[in-house]
Amino acid sequence: MGELVVDLRNVRREYQTGDVATVALAGVSLQVERGEFVAIVGPSGSGKSTMMNLIGCLDRPTSGDVIVARKNVKDLNDKELTALRSKAIGFVFQQFQLLPLTSAVDNVATPLLYQGIGPREARRRAAEMLSKLGLGDRLDFDRSRLSGGQQQRVAISRALVTNPDLVLADEPTGALDTASGEAVMNTFKEMNADGRTIVLITHDLDVAAAAKRRVYIRDGLIERDEKSDQMVGVR
Amino acid sequence: MTPWLILRMALQRIRASKMRSALTMLGIIIGVTSVVALISVGQGAQQGIDESLADLGANQISVTATTPDGLQDSDAANIAALPNVLRVSSEVRSNGSASFEGNETSLGLIGVSPGYEAIATPTVASGRFLPAAPGAQSARVAVLSAVAADELGMRFDNLGDEFRINGVAFQFIGVLDDADGFGGGGNVYITQTAARSLFAKSPYVSVINVQATAKETVDSVEQGVESYLRAEKGFVDDDDAEFIIFNQAALQDAVNTVTGTLSLLITGIAGISLVVGGIGIMNIMLVSVRERTREIGVRRAIGATQGQILVQFLMEAVVLSLMGGFIGLVIGELASFGLSRLGDWDFFIDPATVTLALGFSAFVGIVFGVWPARTAAKLQPVDALRFE
Repeated sequence: MGELVVDLRNVRREYQTGDVATVALAGVSLQVERGEFVAIVGPSGSGKSTMMNLIGCLDRPTSGDVIVARKNVKDLNDKELTALRSKAIGFVFQQFQLLPLTSAVDNVATPLLYQGIGPREARRRAAEMLSKLGLGDRLDFDRSRLSGGQQQRVAISRALVTNPDLVLADEPTGALDTASGEAVMNTFKEMNADGRTIVLITHDLDVAAAAKRRVYIRDGLIERDEKSDQMVGVR
Repeated sequence: MTPWLILRMALQRIRASKMRSALTMLGIIIGVTSVVALISVGQGAQQGIDESLADLGANQISVTATTPDGLQDSDAANIAALPNVLRVSSEVRSNGSASFEGNETSLGLIGVSPGYEAIATPTVASGRFLPAAPGAQSARVAVLSAVAADELGMRFDNLGDEFRINGVAFQFIGVLDDADGFGGGGNVYITQTAARSLFAKSPYVSVINVQATAKETVDSVEQGVESYLRAEKGFVDDDDAEFIIFNQAALQDAVNTVTGTLSLLITGIAGISLVVGGIGIMNIMLVSVRERTREIGVRRAIGATQGQILVQFLMEAVVLSLMGGFIGLVIGELASFGLSRLGDWDFFIDPATVTLALGFSAFVGIVFGVWPARTAAKLQPVDALRFE
């Protein structure tokens, strides 16, 4: 067994709304090894967003252990949790979530700046990453001048620039047309082929088919965990 | 994140919504403008008062008789012999009428002793002051205040002409400069000898002016004069005293205290508008934090600490406030410049005012920026990302 990047052990997450407790995750265990490409698949309300928040160290479990990059979230305060996110996780959001009034290169440089890397070096690395993803000629464009597919590639560059242990993508094709969506999925496959660990959250079975492993989730529990070693084309 | 980058982010944000930023700054701009202008007016007024009082002489006291026979020439001579007294002059005063070429007006008549010019240092706008030579004291010559000359219809080219005081002919030899704070009323100055032939009874005098050797000795001279007069006039109760001692330095101190308190009060009232401006900034920053909740969530997700979010929003508030403060300072100084031309006092940019204006606006930015910035920093990343 390879090195574990994500290790969820019997994780429960409940939300308190007034007197009513809603169970989003009802005791889930999941291990992701370095180099895996995992899709977490489920309909809305299945608990997959909660799982993404927990794996992304954005939230804490009600009970159970969330261990990311060998650190147990339970043992970390807010500052240490932020540092773990910064170092270990690269986020790709559904709505791209590029920072407003900020050029592509500055968007990608921002995580490095938060790590305390100097602005010159941060911009250099950001430009390099954008060029790798084919956006070398769009460095100074802000999000209003980029197409959806370009924005998502900027977002992916931003996720990769810190060289994280894990790329966590939440419905990365959800706001894209078919062609751009396919291009983004191919980017993920290439990244995985380079050895990058990817966890992708989706409700779309076609998108999930691009992953080597699919974890089906329903009503806060893992329903099925299937691995396919051969690559399946998207759609 | 270097401070420079955070500053650049704040400036970008302010530039992106110019109208909103300008309106947010308006309160600070108005506050700082009024504080700066009012401080400047206060300083100008102070300067004017100081100059007027300095003209009258900060090292002087005057003793004014409250009865016609309260003071005499001998008192002036005796006071002149007291320690620390540099010189003494005396005045006799009355009201009378003057006429020139059919114009008739009532004026204050002031008969001054030869030493008067040296103590009071009147500024002569045209012509000359009364003669000081002992042999020339009976000359029928007169110096008019500008107001008096104006009322009589006399101009500079009437110098040397004759006019009448209480029906007696006098030669018009000079006009005083009222703008310099001297002889503000309609007064006519003649020699004491002439005055005594006209209206005053010898040896009585109305006012004795005393000049001390220095500003520092004024108070001891005042005490000396008072104890001399007590002994000489033999009164027990202050109510029995037939004179009033008037200390220019004490007056100046009193006036300074009053003007100082007044400008502080007015500036304080203007300062309230700064606080209101600060509340405006806080309000807009709170709105901004709410509007940018998702951005905050994203920033937290990609590695911003609570401290970095706090600093980002605090910087925005402080930059807004400081920009407002700077604009207000510029407008305030321009207004002060205009007012100084109107009020005829010296314009200068006081470093203390600049420091106060910028320092206070930065302070307002911090105080009213902290709460919104803390609100932003305390957002849970997961809630912020989910926020619609």
